[in-house]
Amino acid sequence: MNQEFPILRKGSFYFIKDGNTDLIMEDKTKRGLTVRERTLDEKLNVEAEKGMIHDMDGIGHWVPIRWFFPKSQYNLEKVLEHAEAMEKKYKDLRELTCPDDSD
Amino acid sequence: MNYTHPEVLVETEWVSKNPPGNKRKLVEVDYDPENGYKKGHIKGASLIWWKRDINDPITRDIINKKQFEELMSRNGITPDTEVILYGDFTNWFAAFVFWVFKYYGHENIKIMNGGRKKWELEKREYTTDEPNIAKTQYTAVPPDEGLRAYLFDVRRALVRGDTVLVDVRSPKEFTGEITAPPEYPMEHAQRGGHIPGANNIPWATAVNDADGTFKTVEELQKNYQPKGVTPDKDVICYCRIGERSSHSWFVLKYLLGYPKVRNYDGSWTEWGNMIGSPVEK
Repeated sequence: MNQEFPILRKGSFYFIKDGNTDLIMEDKTKRGLTVRERTLDEKLNVEAEKGMIHDMDGIGHWVPIRWFFPKSQYNLEKVLEHAEAMEKKYKDLRELTCPDDSD
Repeated sequence: MNYTHPEVLVETEWVSKNPPGNKRKLVEVDYDPENGYKKGHIKGASLIWWKRDINDPITRDIINKKQFEELMSRNGITPDTEVILYGDFTNWFAAFVFWVFKYYGHENIKIMNGGRKKWELEKREYTTDEPNIAKTQYTAVPPDEGLRAYLFDVRRALVRGDTVLVDVRSPKEFTGEITAPPEYPMEHAQRGGHIPGANNIPWATAVNDADGTFKTVEELQKNYQPKGVTPDKDVICYCRIGERSSHSWFVLKYLLGYPKVRNYDGSWTEWGNMIGSPVEK
């Protein structure tokens, strides 16, 4: 459904889309993950669609796939701050590992 | 028509009326115990955690005979104990553990049809109380290698007309579009695709989607036989890490009674990472 919304900004690891009532920030690394629930993300304090990723031990961890920032409370600049923070987190992580061929 | 070995299955209703005791043990087998057993399990059930209890902690392999004996002891199981297995992920890992039990010669073992999925759909009771289990002495028999396929068995099967390979992964994994579903980022292989000549018969085609129970004999025959997976063949099942394939192994060997079925537990994470292994897309 969110694919239909226009993209306002994009980075290597995120999209910000223009939803009807929300600015929607998507984590591109979680594309394809099945949405299992939509609940509050306590870190960003907005609702998020979440899926589950299993670690090396098989333990499932809830991870946000996309966050819904109400337009009544957030403007694009504010959402962009969160998106760039996520971008930095992934870029730092990539520096710690080996960059792949897609760079 | 009945399953060839109906004695390997019990229903949720039966389990609810036949609690575990000295000669019967109920064991939940989970891939993800934090979101399974620890949140609630059937009263009296102990836990086998696939990652911790069934795999060697260092080498990629299933537990050895001594480790299996210790696992049985910790779960209060003796060689003549009736063991009922059930678990998360529609019994994938319960089937894997069933395979390991058979590998080490435990005879009296069954699977609860539908696993946690069906138990929960029926809104049956769970507890978080863990049973007190007295340790037992268990002596296993040497492994039955006739149930297990290794890399060299699969390589040899490529040129044998009497052996058929069953790839039970999803169609997207089979064609190489993905190497693992996104939920399992740790389980990818270097190459996508399938072993040349393999038939793609996903594990899920053997169960009823609504409750995870096994389909009827007639439905199962129609699922496998038109694709050349017939009882006169030597059948090798594989998937990504060997758990979904043990589910299909269980179906072919015990529900349909095929005489020669093996589980290739190395599966795609072995084949798709080996230099020089032929790959078909």
